This record gives sequence, structure tokens and C-alpha cells, in this order.
Amino acid sequence: MTAISLLCVILTELCSVAGQIFFKHAMSQPEGGPRAKFLGMFLSGIAVKALAFFLWLGLLSKFELSYLYPFEGISPVLLVLAAALFLREKMTLNLWAGVILISAGVVLVSAS
Amino acid sequence: MLSSELQPTHATAPVTVQKPHWFGNAYVQVVISIVFSAASQLLMKRGADDSVHDAWLGFSGLHSGWVWLGIFAMIASLAAWLHALRSLPLNVAFSLACSTHALVPLSSWLLLGEVIPLKRWIGIALVIAGVAVIARPLVKLEEKL
Repeated sequence: MTAISLLCVILTELCSVAGQIFFKHAMSQPEGGPRAKFLGMFLSGIAVKALAFFLWLGLLSKFELSYLYPFEGISPVLLVLAAALFLREKMTLNLWAGVILISAGVVLVSAS
Repeated sequence: MLSSELQPTHATAPVTVQKPHWFGNAYVQVVISIVFSAASQLLMKRGADDSVHDAWLGFSGLHSGWVWLGIFAMIASLAAWLHALRSLPLNVAFSLACSTHALVPLSSWLLLGEVIPLKRWIGIALVIAGVAVIARPLVKLEEKL
């Protein structure tokens, strides 16, 4: 994997996590609340997700799926950190243990 | 209402409707989202294999019907995901959704004929263990309800 492929992978992950934060913000809007807030969050989510999608499609044409896909496993760590920071979500011991196991699994998969 | 008048024997049926329908359960929606997400990855890989290999953005993949099927599966996955996010915290829902990291390599082994070396098998097992650690207390919680 070259430096530019790796950069594409990291950019894909960042866009993907940002999209999730936007989506959660959108779905947390109270029902009957201002529609503009929901739409703004939702469309921002779609936009960064779309960027992640096309970066990913480019990567898929160059590598095997079972090799490439597990890189996405960096995302649980990025995501729980982002959720704690931007959504003030609580972390439990189980969640940390699970996320660390998942990420360790991902490191092994991508090293093989 | 009209049909229950016509068939009074079915009048007891609405009693079970009082409970929220299982399909609307946030965890069921997470599972639906996972399955569609894995399917979309396989479909897009199938499509990307047919496309040109020269660009860093995969726009040429849009010529493939497989890629469009993948996009459709991705939209279905997103719909289920948004439904789940209404009631689940993002960090829990996302960690459960990480089972795709085991499901995708397993199905690309089964369906695309890709080879999985031993190290990758161990990694897949760790991912499954991680999801299980997060899911177990949630399953106990659901049983109590």
C-alpha cells in the first residue's frame, strides 16, 4: 500500500465518522422542531458520506475487499472519541473493551 | 376497522399490536442495516472489478449495474441506520455495526472466493469477540424489558 492509498483510506475514515456525527445530530432533533436544523445536519452527513463513498470506490478498484475493508476498523476508536467529544456520549467499560478488541482484530486483519 | 366487523373471529388480534412491533425495534434495525451494508460492499467490489483502474476517485464504477445495486443496498442500510439512531446512542449502535468487519471478509471468502490467511482469521475472531462483549449486557437488558 502506497502513501497516497493510505491517505485515501484515512480521509475515507474521517469523512465516514463525521457523517455519523451529523446523522446522530439530525436524528436527535425533537419531532416537530425546526425542519431546517434537521435538514442541515442530514445533508451535511450525506455530503461527507458521499465523498467517503467515492474515495472508497476508487480504493476498491485497486485492492481486494477482504484486505481493504478491515482498515475501516480504525473507525470504532475514532467514532467513540468523536461521540464523546461532539455528542457528550458516556463511555462504559464494556464499550471500551469491545472497541479495543474490535480494533485489535482489525490490526491483525490488515497486517495479514 | 371495517375488516374486523366483517370477520369478528379476528377481533382478538389487535391485543398483540399494543406491544411495539418487533420490526421497529432499534436493535432489529441495526441488524438490517448491517446486512444491507455488507451486501453493498460485496456488490460494489463486484462492480469495481469491471471498471477502469486509473483514477483515485471511483467515478468510472458508475457504469456498472453492480455498483448501482450496491448504492441501493447502501440507501436501504442508511434508512434502517437512521431509524436505529433515533433511540440508540451512536457509540453503542456503531460498535454493534462493527460486526460488518467480520461479516464482509467472511462473505468475500464465501461469495467472491477471496483467500483468508490465518492471521486474518484471528483478526475476524477478535472483531466478533469485541462485538459480543458490547452486545451481551444489551441482550440481558432487552430480556428484562
